[in-house]
Amino acid sequence: MADVKLTIAGRPYDVHCADGQEAQLIQLAGIVDAKARGIQGGTEVRQLLFAALMLADETQEAQSKAGNAEPQLDSLRAAIALAESRESTARDELRAAVSRESAALDQVKQAAEREAALSAELDKLRQGAPVVPVPVGPDHGRALGQIADRIEELAAKVEQIP
Amino acid sequence: MELDEASLAIGRIERALSRMEKALTDRAARPAPAPAVTATALPPADQSALKAEVAAVIGELDRLIAEAERG
Repeated sequence: MADVKLTIAGRPYDVHCADGQEAQLIQLAGIVDAKARGIQGGTEVRQLLFAALMLADETQEAQSKAGNAEPQLDSLRAAIALAESRESTARDELRAAVSRESAALDQVKQAAEREAALSAELDKLRQGAPVVPVPVGPDHGRALGQIADRIEELAAKVEQIP
Repeated sequence: MELDEASLAIGRIERALSRMEKALTDRAARPAPAPAVTATALPPADQSALKAEVAAVIGELDRLIAEAERG
């Protein structure tokens, strides 16, 4: 236990408290002393009585305010939970959208690469480069003939375009 | 004989490509057609079919070339 000397409304008091709580006790005594000194006139007992009444009034008012704030606190907690839920949903949607966009981009790149390869092939054909640079087998010769048929049909269609 | 058949087919392909190139070049060189003439151009469905056929033929050629390279 710790011994503490307090002075309230001009009178000294010797009190005891648990070790480590001296500062807290001195601070509380300071509040009571300030209230008592604020009351002019009357006996010391009356000063202390009014100080006690004023502190009790302040305590009651603080409790009332805390009670009124409780429903607002509940509403705030609900709003925070809702906002967190919406944020989580929005994050998921954003992640999914990024994933879709990335996949679409990959498809576009692949399509562009295929188109470039086909275009290069067509250029080679136009420039008269050998279509088949290696010896051609029987099936390939027949297939080339069929392709020649189709390309001739295409040429006829292109020539008919107004 | 098979080699001759392939050479003949390649020659036909080259000539058909030249015809297509000439037709496209001539068409690009012509002045822009009036709106009434534009209406006689190929409908979108025919254009798509033409493009699809070109893509199919090119794909067939690619496949053939790849097969030939693999022997």
